[in-house]
Amino acid sequence: MTSAPSSKVATPPVAENFLLPAGLADGLPPEAGFEAAMVERLMASFARWGYERVKPPLLEFEDSLLAGPGEAMAAHTFRLMDPVSQRMMGLRADMTPQVGRIAASRLRKMPRPLRLSYAGQVLRVKGEQMRLQRQLGQVGVELIGAEGAAADAEVLLLPVEALRELGAPDVAVDINVPRLAPIILADLPPEARMELIAALDRKDTARVSERAGRHKETLLGLLRSVGPVETALPALLALKLPAAGEIERANLAETVALVRKAAPDLTLTIDATDQRGFEYHSGLAFTLLGRGVRGEFGRGGRYVNHAGEAATGFSLYLDTLLATLPVPARPKRVFVPFGAAADIGMTLRREGWVTVQGLSAVADARLEAKRLLCSHVLEGGRPVAVDG
Amino acid sequence: MPEVFVLALPKGRILKEVLPVLRKAGIEPEAEFADENSRALRFRTNRPDLEIIRVRSFDVATFVAFGAAQLGVAGNDVLLEFDYPEIYAPVDLNIGHCRLSVAEPAELSASDDPSRWSHIRVATKYPNVTRAHFAARGVQAECIKLSGAMELAPTLGLCRRIVDLVSSGATLRANNLVEIEKIAEVTSRLIVNRTAMKTFPREIGGLVEDLRRAAA
Repeated sequence: MTSAPSSKVATPPVAENFLLPAGLADGLPPEAGFEAAMVERLMASFARWGYERVKPPLLEFEDSLLAGPGEAMAAHTFRLMDPVSQRMMGLRADMTPQVGRIAASRLRKMPRPLRLSYAGQVLRVKGEQMRLQRQLGQVGVELIGAEGAAADAEVLLLPVEALRELGAPDVAVDINVPRLAPIILADLPPEARMELIAALDRKDTARVSERAGRHKETLLGLLRSVGPVETALPALLALKLPAAGEIERANLAETVALVRKAAPDLTLTIDATDQRGFEYHSGLAFTLLGRGVRGEFGRGGRYVNHAGEAATGFSLYLDTLLATLPVPARPKRVFVPFGAAADIGMTLRREGWVTVQGLSAVADARLEAKRLLCSHVLEGGRPVAVDG
Repeated sequence: MPEVFVLALPKGRILKEVLPVLRKAGIEPEAEFADENSRALRFRTNRPDLEIIRVRSFDVATFVAFGAAQLGVAGNDVLLEFDYPEIYAPVDLNIGHCRLSVAEPAELSASDDPSRWSHIRVATKYPNVTRAHFAARGVQAECIKLSGAMELAPTLGLCRRIVDLVSSGATLRANNLVEIEKIAEVTSRLIVNRTAMKTFPREIGGLVEDLRRAAA
């Protein structure tokens, strides 16, 4: 063996080339398969409620992607130049605005209310403090052209049912009215208003009392009302609100009644001070949580789409689901040794087996089956468990 | 399944002030908790549904933000520094009073004109708060992150200004520093993990109310 001449560049260590950019990861078996199955099941749940799937493109022109409800996502969106049209394009950071655009444009003649569902990957320029991933799987629905409590309740109950069908433990819903605080504080200069809204969001009672001025009683009342619907709603109803706020509150009460009737055992809370992540929402909104689950399953709420239509919807994020639900055990796999009868594999697959075909002759088929993570091996024409 | 919630308390100064509040709320830690030499990190309380952990003050916020502890006690200095969206701060416990301030050597202060600053260098445990505070008035703050003994930085020429907690001001005086500006008043807050608050509204809400009454 001779040493390499010094003039040659040494091969870099291979492992370094495997590094992925921050917030991006490879999906591996069995999680990747499980994630795909989860998407299928969620989409099937949505379909049973009458929601039909649309498939928006990954990239759009910036002007259309960031118009209407998309505007709030501008800071999160990757941009690139389209060499064909020489126009700036954006890579979607959220699919909701895309579905809103489809409804307002190509599906404008479809009868309302229009029920659409979607599933896909989104990309964000920066991860969040508690969710560092920059690529997220998003699954959701939009209900377009319907106002009122019945529509709000449908869009809240649908993900609860779908999550429960998926086996998510102890789903809880926090109902929010992100518009209420801005309505109450409408007379304040923007800076003071923003500061109070942020303090409310953090439930910072001390700061709210200090800065709220003449709104102190109402804001502290809002903070006190945060909690289970059974106590939160009466507390909220006792508050004196501006007329616009009363409309929001009446719709909230009506929605809660509908949800309670349909899901009496659901953990349901109200938080009229929560603002986070409701950048484009214009009415009742909600957050889907799970006991002991870090982060949230998803969120949803009312907004106005590109054509000025009333719309509501929700998005679930697959990363939280994937971190929460146990990955099911690998299905039974049978190793079919090289040279087995041609039709045996097909017969087994028809019976529901997963077959792993041997591609060359081996000395010990049972050992080979184990090596390839098979639970069974074909012996004497039938699958036999490899252990036992 | 009975849930056990975890309350994260900061080591040191605040701990002594928190215990009377807990006691008033009917929460009594096990005897070993009072033993400062104990190596244990987790402690039982008289309530079967509540455990206590003792961690560094900055880590209280981290444990609560990630849901490893459902409740905690943290100064708003820590909350300002991290700004975790997952943390609620519903109760001002009215303990641990101090302030977060900018300080510099007395002789510098005599000749300094802050309106001429475009860039300053600051030693601090609070780089985010410091940067934001100075950025708001158009000054770029280059922060040197230290974990303690901030007062040494100006004396030994590491940099001329510091941002740190000040309570009596005795430490500053002893190091010939003067407080030139207050960034925030600091008190200890009861903090709560957002998801825990929403998914166990009765249990966590009850604990929050008990502590709110005890602190009043």
